[in-house]
Amino acid sequence: MVTVKASLLELTKLLPHFVDIEETLENEVEARYVLKRAADHFEKLQLDSSKEMEEDEEEVSYLVQALVDKNWERIHSGHFSCVSLTIRKIYALGCYFKIFFLLLEKSSLEQHEQCSTILDEAQLLGCTDNLYVKCNELQAALMKYLDVDAPKMSPTPLPVLDAVQRRVSRCDIPQLDAPSIIEFRASCYDALQPTLLLNTINHWPALRKWRDLNYLLKVAGNRTVPIEIGSNYASDEWSQQLVKIRDFLYRQFGEGNQTVNLDIEYLAQHELFAQIPALRADICVPDYCSVSADNTSTVDIKAWLGPKNTISPMHTDPKHNLLCQVFGSKRIILAAPKDTENLYAHETEFLGNTSQIDAANLDFESFPLLRRVQFYELLLQPGDCLYLPPKWWHYVRSDTPSFSVSFWFE
Amino acid sequence: MSVDQTTAEQQPQVAGRPPSPACARRCATAVGTPSDERRKMRQFLFTGFNAFGQHNSNNTVGRTSGRVTALTEIHVPGNENDNNIIIAISWRYTVYAKGIKIWLIGLLDSMPGECLELEAPMAIKALAACDTHCLVLLQNGELYKLPVKLDAKLQQIKLETPPNPPATATKRTIFGTAKASNGVSTVITHIACGSHINVAISAGNTVYSIPSCLHQFPQLQWRLKQLECGQEHALLLNANGDVYTWGNGLRGQLGQETLGVEETPQLVDALAGIKITHIAAGGWHSAAISAFGDLYTWGLNSNGQLGMRVMKPDGLLKEPTVYPLPQLHDLSACCGTSDDDVDLCAPVKVFAGSRHTVLVRSCGRLWASGWSAHGQLGIQVNSQYLDAFQAIYDECRDSEYSVICGPWSTLLVLSK
Repeated sequence: MVTVKASLLELTKLLPHFVDIEETLENEVEARYVLKRAADHFEKLQLDSSKEMEEDEEEVSYLVQALVDKNWERIHSGHFSCVSLTIRKIYALGCYFKIFFLLLEKSSLEQHEQCSTILDEAQLLGCTDNLYVKCNELQAALMKYLDVDAPKMSPTPLPVLDAVQRRVSRCDIPQLDAPSIIEFRASCYDALQPTLLLNTINHWPALRKWRDLNYLLKVAGNRTVPIEIGSNYASDEWSQQLVKIRDFLYRQFGEGNQTVNLDIEYLAQHELFAQIPALRADICVPDYCSVSADNTSTVDIKAWLGPKNTISPMHTDPKHNLLCQVFGSKRIILAAPKDTENLYAHETEFLGNTSQIDAANLDFESFPLLRRVQFYELLLQPGDCLYLPPKWWHYVRSDTPSFSVSFWFE
Repeated sequence: MSVDQTTAEQQPQVAGRPPSPACARRCATAVGTPSDERRKMRQFLFTGFNAFGQHNSNNTVGRTSGRVTALTEIHVPGNENDNNIIIAISWRYTVYAKGIKIWLIGLLDSMPGECLELEAPMAIKALAACDTHCLVLLQNGELYKLPVKLDAKLQQIKLETPPNPPATATKRTIFGTAKASNGVSTVITHIACGSHINVAISAGNTVYSIPSCLHQFPQLQWRLKQLECGQEHALLLNANGDVYTWGNGLRGQLGQETLGVEETPQLVDALAGIKITHIAAGGWHSAAISAFGDLYTWGLNSNGQLGMRVMKPDGLLKEPTVYPLPQLHDLSACCGTSDDDVDLCAPVKVFAGSRHTVLVRSCGRLWASGWSAHGQLGIQVNSQYLDAFQAIYDECRDSEYSVICGPWSTLLVLSK
C-alpha cells in the first residue's frame, strides 16, 4: 500500500477521538459501534500507516458508509424539522470519516469533488455546530484541502453581467430615501406599511463585486446547495435538488446556453452566507433589522440567485422582511393582509401560505373575488430595499438575471 | 450421523454469547443427513447488508462478508429440516422464530453477531421488526413487544378494547380472548411495523395503531389479505382487491393526490376500479399488482425504486423524486420473444425494502429495480441503482419460493 500522504495524515489529527463524541451519541447503538471503530482506526493510522491497516480499512470504511446511508434515511423520515439533532450530528460525523476513507482510497480530482459534496451535505443535512472541540478547524482545513484543485473544474470564464441602468418606474407604495431608524420605525415598522427604501445599501461590496460571476465562481463554485427546478414552486413540475454552485452558474448564466432548452433553476431561500463566509463579508445586516426593542431574536439571511423569469407565486411570510437587490431587477406585486380572504390560498398543509392565482395574469373568471383586491406594483432595482411587513402577500418575478438578499426579522 | 436434539433444547437460554461453533453444530443439521421425505428441504438465499453478522451466524466455514453482493446460501438458526421458520429482517438485526423459540441476531448492544435466544409462551404466528423492537404475534392472538437488547424480555401488549356495544354475556374464542358482541373476533391476525408506525389488525377488521384503536372497518364486509408497513406508512389489501393506506405521506407513499398525513386508512382512489392481488410497502414507497398482471408503484423514487428514471435524459438534473399517484408499468418482455409470450410472465408478487423493489413474475424469474449499493439486488450495477425493472435471478424458476425483503437485503426461501 502506498504510504499515506503526509498532508492527509496531518489532517486526520483533527478527527475526533471516540471520547470526544461519546456523549453526543447517547444510546445510538450503531453509531457508537461504527464511530468507535472509525475513530480508533485513524488513531492507529497516525501511529502506524502500514499494510496491516488495509483489511481493517475496508471493513471500517464500509461500516462508515452504511452508517451515513442509514442516517440519511433517518433524516428523511417524517418532517425535517422534527429530526433529532443527535441523528443529524451522527450523520455529520459519519460524513467526516467517510471523506477520509475516500481520500485514503484515491486522490483524484473526481474523488476530491465527491468529498467536497459530502462535506457540504454534512452541513446541509447534518449538524456541524459544536460537534467536538476541533470540529470547525477540521471543516475549514478539509474545505481548503479539497478546494485546491477546484479552479481546474472551471476553465471557461463566466460573463460579467452588465449593470442594469436605473429607470423611473411605477411604484404603488411609498418610497423613502435612506430613512433613519426612527423614521423607519414610525413610517414602516409600526405602521406595517410596505415601503421602497432607496440608497440604504450603497456601501455593500456585493454591489460592485457580484456582477462578475467569476468572483462568485471563485469563492463559492465548489459548494453544494439546494436549488429549485421549475419556475413555480406550487406546480407539479417543481422539485428541489442538491447541485454544485459551479454547475448551476454555468447552466443558468454561461454563454451559449441561452439556445439550449434548459429548465429554469433558482437558488432560492438558502442560507448561503452561513455556508460561505467570504460572501457574508460582502454584505451588511441593515440597521433596520434591530428596530424592535427586543433585540434577542436572530435575523435569517437568505440568498436568491437565478436567471431571468424565476417566479415566486403570490405568498406570505410570517416575519418582517427586507428584500435587498444586489444585481438585476425584479417585478413585484403586493396585496394587503386584509385581502387574504379574496386571494384563494391553497388548502394543503404546505401551500397554505400560497395563493392559487397568477398575480401577473389575473383570471377574474376562475377567481371572481380578485376583483375586490387592491394590488400594488413596483420594480425592485439594484441598490433598492423593499420593506415588507408580516403577512403581506407578494409575487416576485425576475426581469433579468438577478441576485437578492432577504433579511427576515422580528 | 444423528443430531442430538434433546441436548440442544436443554441448552440454557444464553443471552449475549455469540453462538459458538460447537453450539452451531448442535443446532444445525449436518448436510447429508437423511431427511423425512414428507418434510421439504428449505434453502435460504441471501443478498445484501450483513455487516452486523445478522445472517449466517451458523456458518462454520468462514466469515460471511459484510456486504453480500449475489444471492448466496445462508443457514438459519434451529433445525433446518423443520418447516415454518418465520423471519423478519431489520437493519442491524434479524429475528427468527420457530415454534416457541425466538432468536435475535445482529448488533444488539455493542458487538456484531450478538445473539439473544428466548422462548414465547406458545407458538409464534408472525413477526414484525423495526429499528428499536420486534412485534411477536402468537397463535392465540396475544401480542408481545421485544426490545432489541441482549437482556430483553417479551413484554405483553395490552391493546385498547374496541368500542363495541356491551353484551350481557361476553363470547370468547377458544383461546379465551373476548369476542365482540356480534360474534366477530378481536383476535389479532396481522401485524406490521416500521420505525415510525406500529399496526395490528384483528379478525374483526379493527385497525390498531398499537396499542390504541385507530379505525374500525364495517365488520364482516371483507376479509383482510395483507398488511404491510414502510418506515412511516401502512398499506392493507382486502380480498375484494381494495387498497387502503395511512400514515405519513410526505413522499407520496400513500398514493393520494396531495402529500400529507392520513390518520386513518383511506382507500387509494386511483386504484378503486382495479382488483389488486398483491401489495408491498418499501421505506417510502408502495407497490401493487392487479389481477390483470399490471404493476403499479408510487412514492419516493430517490434510487429508482419505483422503476422510474432518476436522471433527466441530459443526465444533469434529476427527474421528480416523488410520484404521489400510482404509476402503471410497461414491463419489458421476460421469457418469450413473440408478443404473445409477454402475458405469460405477468408479475404475481411484489416485495420492497428500504429503497428497492423485487418482483416475482409468473414464470418464476425474479426482477427488481432500485438501490443496489449494499448488494440488495444481487447483481453488479455501475451506478449503484437500477431505475427500470430488470431480471436479476433465474435459478429459482423451478422451485417454490417466497421472498422476504429487509431494509437493505433480499432473502429467498426456497422449498425443494
